[in-house]
Amino acid sequence: MKRRNGALRRPRTGIAVAVSLVGVLALSGCGQSAIGQHAGTFELTAETPAPAGDIDRFTWALTTEPFSLDPAYAFDYADNTVLSNMCESLLRWNADLSVSPGLATSFENPDPLTWVYTIREGVQFHDGTTMTPHDVVVSLQRHLDPEVGSFWYSTFQNVASVEQTGEHEVTVRTTEPDSQFNQLMSAAPGVVQSAASTEEAGPDYGNQSTGVNCTGPFQFEEWRSGESITMSRFDDYWDPDLRARADEVEFVILNDANARVNALQTGEIDGAWTIPTNAIDPMRASDTGNVYFGTNATVQSIVISDMEGPLGDVRVRRALALALDREALAQAAVQGYGTPTDSLTPESVWRDADDATRARAFDDIAHYDYDLEEARELVREAGAEGERIVFATSSLDPSFDVVSQAMASAGKEIGLDIEIDTRSQNAYTLLFSDPAAIEGVDMFTTLWYLSSTDPLEMYSVLRTDEFSNYGKWSDPEFDDVVNRAVATLDADERFALAADAQRIATDQLPWIPLFDLPATVWMGDRITGVDPSINYLYFPWAAKIGRAEQ
Amino acid sequence: MTETSTRAVRIREDRPTRPSGRWRRTARFIAGRVIGLALTLVAASLVVFFSRFVVPGDPARFLLRGRSPSEEAIAEVTRQYGLDLPPLQQYLNWAGGILQGDFGRSLQYRDDVSTVLLQRLPVTLELVALAAVFIVVLGLAAGVLASLRRGRPTDRVILVVSTALGAIPSFVIAILLIAIFAVQLGWFPSFGSGDEGLDRFVHLILPALALGLTFVALVTRVTRSSMNEQFVREHVEVATSRGLTRPSVVLRHVLRNAISPILLVSGVLVAGLLVSSAIVEQTFGLAGIGSLLVQSVDRLDFPVVQAIVLVVVIAFVTVNTIVDIIQPLIDPRIAAGTETR
Repeated sequence: MKRRNGALRRPRTGIAVAVSLVGVLALSGCGQSAIGQHAGTFELTAETPAPAGDIDRFTWALTTEPFSLDPAYAFDYADNTVLSNMCESLLRWNADLSVSPGLATSFENPDPLTWVYTIREGVQFHDGTTMTPHDVVVSLQRHLDPEVGSFWYSTFQNVASVEQTGEHEVTVRTTEPDSQFNQLMSAAPGVVQSAASTEEAGPDYGNQSTGVNCTGPFQFEEWRSGESITMSRFDDYWDPDLRARADEVEFVILNDANARVNALQTGEIDGAWTIPTNAIDPMRASDTGNVYFGTNATVQSIVISDMEGPLGDVRVRRALALALDREALAQAAVQGYGTPTDSLTPESVWRDADDATRARAFDDIAHYDYDLEEARELVREAGAEGERIVFATSSLDPSFDVVSQAMASAGKEIGLDIEIDTRSQNAYTLLFSDPAAIEGVDMFTTLWYLSSTDPLEMYSVLRTDEFSNYGKWSDPEFDDVVNRAVATLDADERFALAADAQRIATDQLPWIPLFDLPATVWMGDRITGVDPSINYLYFPWAAKIGRAEQ
Repeated sequence: MTETSTRAVRIREDRPTRPSGRWRRTARFIAGRVIGLALTLVAASLVVFFSRFVVPGDPARFLLRGRSPSEEAIAEVTRQYGLDLPPLQQYLNWAGGILQGDFGRSLQYRDDVSTVLLQRLPVTLELVALAAVFIVVLGLAAGVLASLRRGRPTDRVILVVSTALGAIPSFVIAILLIAIFAVQLGWFPSFGSGDEGLDRFVHLILPALALGLTFVALVTRVTRSSMNEQFVREHVEVATSRGLTRPSVVLRHVLRNAISPILLVSGVLVAGLLVSSAIVEQTFGLAGIGSLLVQSVDRLDFPVVQAIVLVVVIAFVTVNTIVDIIQPLIDPRIAAGTETR
């Protein structure tokens, strides 16, 4: 769409109309056009109504198929949504994002380089064998093995040794103080699986033919390529509080968002995490189930992926941030189901920081309130007028399209020529793994979630030469603060340093933050009991779901 | 890559001299066809394999999607998947493996390609088969009806409707079918392939219709024009004037001779169905070969892409070869091995 220059208009109306049209088209045929009175407003709930009893089976939608269920490759939504119910970690990540004992009953940190885990006794693997510290050692060591090529290698990059040091004890030693290692023992890197099964299956461990052998409340049953993954209750599960209430759970893989929304509304599928934002209002208005909002650890932001180009100048990045009316964009892109933010970290991961530090991290930082005049001025100062900038997008999420359009029209307003490069969903995900895919791309949107309750998980990837620092941004002061923070084991000191890192990142904008997003979950009328929270990635959430009062 | 499917047919005017000579010519013709088939496949396999090297992106990077993979891990993965060997060596390993039924390992699933394909092949074959049944039944019925009602309103309606259907892309039909029959009326499931047996059949009805309707138009038009051509033929006029009943004239004299062109489009149909099935499978959440191909192209899972493309090429070339070989058996006017290309 070409528009005359100088026509000063906010990106909002045109886009909002386009989006609502798209939404109507996309959802036509779902028999729901009535939008409820709560549209665009939400409240977080910690839990959902308790189940009335057990249930024989329920189905759950997945947006994409897991590549593998091997914890070493469980690095995305789909893999972990499934795996978290079958495999457990040394520590447990709770719905309020606190951490409590899991397969380890306790841990100690006797000196800055040593982590000692006491391993729980009497835990059975799904094949009936008993878990021993040896299984823990093998499970952790796999991540260091180049032959395995673990996606979680960076969690273990400072690990010097993993050894059994007692009858029920495993000790991990690091080469330098590393506060992040232990934090991630409550996520996929801390998963313990049977050493015997892992060795026996070799490269087939966790794939469609083999499945996994872990300790969780559900065990692997069947994986039908491209269609579904089924798991069943594990009767010898060690934790009575989390005994599975369903005999069987089937994950149904449905790439197509419309198909997914249809299937949820007709009751063909009972539940799903992460409802497309443009479907939330019609689904809330429907009477076949409920949408719940919960604690998340996800910020949607724009990754600046080329610091060599025009965006290498911080003034141009600031101009872009100022030119986006994020209040309006939150309505247009995520239908109000997101809170505009100037920080790359969600507030939820600062839960353990004291109030003063949290205030410093979120208030005493640069703010980019909508200001076209200033944005134009900055572009002029930087001499970047007319520069061509490529924004890669895809239909991966309904908001991506709107964000890219908004960015393009905001760019036009301030004298930049932003070109949209639309890619397929899978090709888009390659941007995050293959440096070749980023060639010629200046920016793209991401929904970046954290796997631990620590803002440093975000900021450590923006250090110089980190793989996920896609734009190769480099700031010595920032690197120094983050390195010191990572090496700080005292939580209060660490959060104080993290607040400094947040201040620098917001000031320099290696990525441009957009919204802090809530977790969303849909449960149809048949089921209830899940705790709506991002912890579903690493916590056996499905065990809590049972029969709803009908 | 594939041969054009236009065939100039020489009508034989002379009677065959000796049966044995005809048999030998037929044998030579079939042998020639089979050798041609083999050569086509070898050429195709070369194209299929080496096309990977013009696609940007490093498969090893896809296999190490974590944050900051170590250099050792990248080297190790490259070695594991034989990506460090010279391309020709890689081709020979791959082709040698295929001859033993080993298509290599899928990068995305970390599993044998053959395992993944075997899991998904049944759904696609069932979908294409059911769609083919719909196409043949609906297409033939509509074509025959139109031809019998030449020039009347019925004929025109059929032509207009079939042309319109032929112009609508499969995915639009798919969305409409889901909206009407699955969501509004709730008669059919809206996604998935169900369990083996009747449940599978019920699940595949809508996708097969979505896949087939586009091609019904083609079969309808070919049937109609082919039959119209026959109706004005002398032998039909003669048969009619001899007082044979209309059904027997239509069946024995018109349809039988009209079948040849219909058979010719079947080769094109098979390829078209396989290509369109990707879109339909995606829309209906069916885990078939088509959706696997689309997803694997995107994910640079080249062992899977190569295997699927090769299987499709084999299917296409084989169907065409079979059509070539049985053509003379159906239509005695075409002598084996006498057509020119």
